[in-house]
Amino acid sequence: MNRNRIRRFTPLQRLSHIFLIITFLVQSATGLGRMYMETAWGQRLCWFFGGYEASREVHIWVGIIMLCGFVLHVLYLLAKVEWKGFPQSLFGPDSMLPRPADLKEFFQHVAWFFGARKPPEFDRWGYWEKFDYWAVFWGMVIIGVTGLLLAWPIAASRIMPGWGLNVALWVHRIEALLAMGHVFLIHFFIAHLRRHNFPMDRAMFEGSADLDAARHERPAWIRRLRDSGRLEGMLVTDSMIGQRVLFYLFGYAAVAAGLFLLIGALINVPHISW
Amino acid sequence: MGKIISLQKWLTGALIFGLMLSGNLASAQDEVASAIRRYKAYEASTGYYEEYEVLPQRQRPLITIPNIRQGLIPYSPTAASVRSRTHLADSHQGIRFYAGRQCADCHTAAAMDIHTTRANLTCRQCHGGEPIASIHYYWSPLNPIRRHAYVCSKCHEGASASYAAYVVHAPNPSMAGTMKSFPVLFYAFWIMIAIAVGTFVLFIPHTVLWGIRELFVKKKKTGGEQDEQE
Ligand code: HEM
Repeated sequence: MNRNRIRRFTPLQRLSHIFLIITFLVQSATGLGRMYMETAWGQRLCWFFGGYEASREVHIWVGIIMLCGFVLHVLYLLAKVEWKGFPQSLFGPDSMLPRPADLKEFFQHVAWFFGARKPPEFDRWGYWEKFDYWAVFWGMVIIGVTGLLLAWPIAASRIMPGWGLNVALWVHRIEALLAMGHVFLIHFFIAHLRRHNFPMDRAMFEGSADLDAARHERPAWIRRLRDSGRLEGMLVTDSMIGQRVLFYLFGYAAVAAGLFLLIGALINVPHISW
Repeated sequence: MGKIISLQKWLTGALIFGLMLSGNLASAQDEVASAIRRYKAYEASTGYYEEYEVLPQRQRPLITIPNIRQGLIPYSPTAASVRSRTHLADSHQGIRFYAGRQCADCHTAAAMDIHTTRANLTCRQCHGGEPIASIHYYWSPLNPIRRHAYVCSKCHEGASASYAAYVVHAPNPSMAGTMKSFPVLFYAFWIMIAIAVGTFVLFIPHTVLWGIRELFVKKKKTGGEQDEQE
């Protein structure tokens, strides 16, 4: 069979992404359900999770599971750091940390949108991918801390005055709306709708990316692998058709759920008291 | 002897009279101001309980309005000064047609908080029946010295005074007035909004332009392993 794909994500990384999809969608649905409890839409969302009270329990415990995942991810990062040559080793082309080149590529990319320049030759990670990664990272910290304060308000008011809960609720809310807006609009568009990836970029599920597409968009990555002789070892064949169907079903189910939440929330904005 | 007895009678009488004047003693009042620890072990709100535990205090969390006059306040340019209603036993004292009105007729914004809209509480579940005392009336159940025990803990078991500093009728965080009345909320809100709006202002046009631009790209098919230079 034609080895027309290139390995991009490990099984553990793919599992983390699926974990994040599920927990994030549950958090969005239960959080929005309670936030929109004054509307029929919000009541139906809460009904799905067992009602207004039950939605809170689900939101808190799935939130804690999500935060445990985040802690594990941080441990994973610590284990992955090359401590030899630290801290320069953190800024290699395979790292998620931003480098000056990202800024340059961003401006070149925008110039390319207007036909003013050639597209940048991305390496393994584009600036938008790094942005998404760090947005989730800091989002977890902000939403996790405020979420835990709100989950146990009496304990929380021992370490801060009770009016801190007013602040925590608003910070949690806005961060949640930002995260949902970004994922359901921008992340979904980039991963599904733009022509390069249409109808869906399977890389995060399948673990490998289309070699042609990668050559086209990330020539610096492919060149680097070829020059160091590692490219050959990273080529894999396509997944079986049954698997592919599964990836598409799962991916599109997540998109449908996200758009349902986004559109419902937007339509109902005038009907809730903030 | 007779003199002492009549003095005792006078003292007892004065005491009873004094108690009659002072209204009902709330049972939460028997808290002692301990020199060791009382609330302090559990709370971090002000740290001043040991001295002021049973004194009425305005424990509003940074949401006092500076320079507002206490006592008589001017109601409108034409009217005479009206009474500040923050310390009355009956906060609605003297309001005409009071009996025929509903709380939300006047307290419209106050009836839009989360306790009302989500938990379906009615005003009276916290503020009590008539007469509704001002929050800062000394004997009011909602007086900050006892509202955690008298009101909040009806639902929130274990509520402390710090917990009760949660602002139930929270101001709209976006409004300019909130900058003075609840600055932390105001700035937290606007910083978060700036981050969110900044992200969308940058990424929505970026992504739309990107999507359009890609429609004009030819996908190259090189097919599989062979890897000539690009
Ligand atoms: C991506 C993750 C999350 C999203 C999208 C999210 C979303 C939301 C939303 C929209 C609300 C409603 C705010 C309102 O009532 O107006 C909310 C409330 C809340 N969240 Fe989250 N949240 C997330 C993570 C967490 C985490 C990790 C925790 C902590 C364990 C948490 C705990 C809470 C609590 C306790 C509330 C208040 C619930 C209530 O009483 O209505 N959330 N969340």
